[in-house]
Amino acid sequence: METLDIELPRMALLYGLCLLPWLLLWLIGLRLSRDIGISILRMSIQLALVGIYLKMLFDLNHPWLNGLWILMMLIVADLSILKRAGLKVRYFALATFTAIASSIMFSTAYLVILVIQPTHYYDARYIVPLAGMILGNCLQGNVIALERFYSALRKNEHEYATFLMLGATRWEAVRPYFRDAIKAAINPTIAGMATMGLVSLPGMMTGQILGGSEPWLAVKYQIAIMICIFTSTTIASIINLKLSLNIAFNAFDVLRDEVIEKP
Amino acid sequence: MQSFVVLLRRIQFRIITMPPIIRFDHVSVIAHQKTILSDISFALFPGEKAVLCGKSGSGKSSVLRTLLGLHPIKSGMVYFQEQPLTPVSVQVIRSCAAYIGQEPMLGAESVREALLLPFQFKSHRDHRPTEAQLVEVLQRLQLPANILSQESNRISGGEKQRVALARGLLLGKKLYLLDEVTSALDAESKRVVFDVFSDPHLTVLSVAHDPEWLERCGIVFELEAGQLTQVRRDGNT
Repeated sequence: METLDIELPRMALLYGLCLLPWLLLWLIGLRLSRDIGISILRMSIQLALVGIYLKMLFDLNHPWLNGLWILMMLIVADLSILKRAGLKVRYFALATFTAIASSIMFSTAYLVILVIQPTHYYDARYIVPLAGMILGNCLQGNVIALERFYSALRKNEHEYATFLMLGATRWEAVRPYFRDAIKAAINPTIAGMATMGLVSLPGMMTGQILGGSEPWLAVKYQIAIMICIFTSTTIASIINLKLSLNIAFNAFDVLRDEVIEKP
Repeated sequence: MQSFVVLLRRIQFRIITMPPIIRFDHVSVIAHQKTILSDISFALFPGEKAVLCGKSGSGKSSVLRTLLGLHPIKSGMVYFQEQPLTPVSVQVIRSCAAYIGQEPMLGAESVREALLLPFQFKSHRDHRPTEAQLVEVLQRLQLPANILSQESNRISGGEKQRVALARGLLLGKKLYLLDEVTSALDAESKRVVFDVFSDPHLTVLSVAHDPEWLERCGIVFELEAGQLTQVRRDGNT
């Protein structure tokens, strides 16, 4: 069963659909033409480039090239996490990279090598989309974990200092904020698993069904990806926060001002 | 003249017999590109009660915070029991000193949990107080035993301070760093707090404006714009 192609004229017809929301927004007085135009253009160009790249990647299917692609995704994710969490890249880049790289590689390898078992473990068709999906979700979790943790620490500076004064070690004093941050990071995944299939059909499953897979197979892959997302988000956020503790504090256990990006 | 000689002897006696518990030696501190303490030198001996006074922003609380290692020192040195302040020795200071602020953080839901909080930490895990010890220390501070089950954010500011003080006593702390504690206390609780600190084994370094508190403290350090401008010991300049 082949997926039906969308030919160029019909792609144009598709873009035409945007005119309807654009008109509605214009009618209620929202002048967003520029933003909408830029967003649609960016989406199209970025996806076209990814399309070209993936096509090449799949055609060559070379282990090093696939690895390079994953490495690039990890670097972009690393920078994006720190920027969105408001932390300085030059202090935390290595810690965050270590956390996401180790957790993504672990869960993707587990899934591909032990569970899916393709002929070639480096098969781009499996590792590139799977690692990409896991990483995308892991990124969200790590942003939440870092952002929550360091803003809670700054907000509760006095309470944190009180814990230190009461004889807590740095780790004992940050533990309440640490737990809250990890909980906030993994909660969306846990909630997502609980409502999966009820509220909406998950993206990967929809994609596979459109691609011609049997619903049962699509279900199994969806379960696999959710479990890997959950595992890698948890591992990455914990490693990431733990490593950052060695960077963000001075020897007297006080949070260093200079590691946080000024808003 | 006679009293001056007595005073001199006392100071001499102290210098010979025991080292100061706290010593600031030409300490300057800069935080957020602003000088908050400039060339501060003083010494405090075990059992002494001292108060830092001065206008707001003069650096009084910064002296306490610097001693606790919360501000990096730019120049000079802070000594605790004659040991220079280092990342290792700061742990000793933190374990010996109780810091109580104007609105102390209890850091737990109920008063009982707040009192037992430090005993969850590795450093105090083996010294968890018994129920009888909890009630006894509350009585000493004239707090009713039923306060234990109350929510810690529901009790008054004065009660919070006494709970924080009770926690210090349970931990057997010998040095009390009190930041504006008297402002939230009524006359009765103030008397209770004074009684606790009349114990000659407890050393107090406090920040206060309250004239009654100033009178009770043997040593008054006056600060102005981060500098120590005057020291009075037992009423003498």
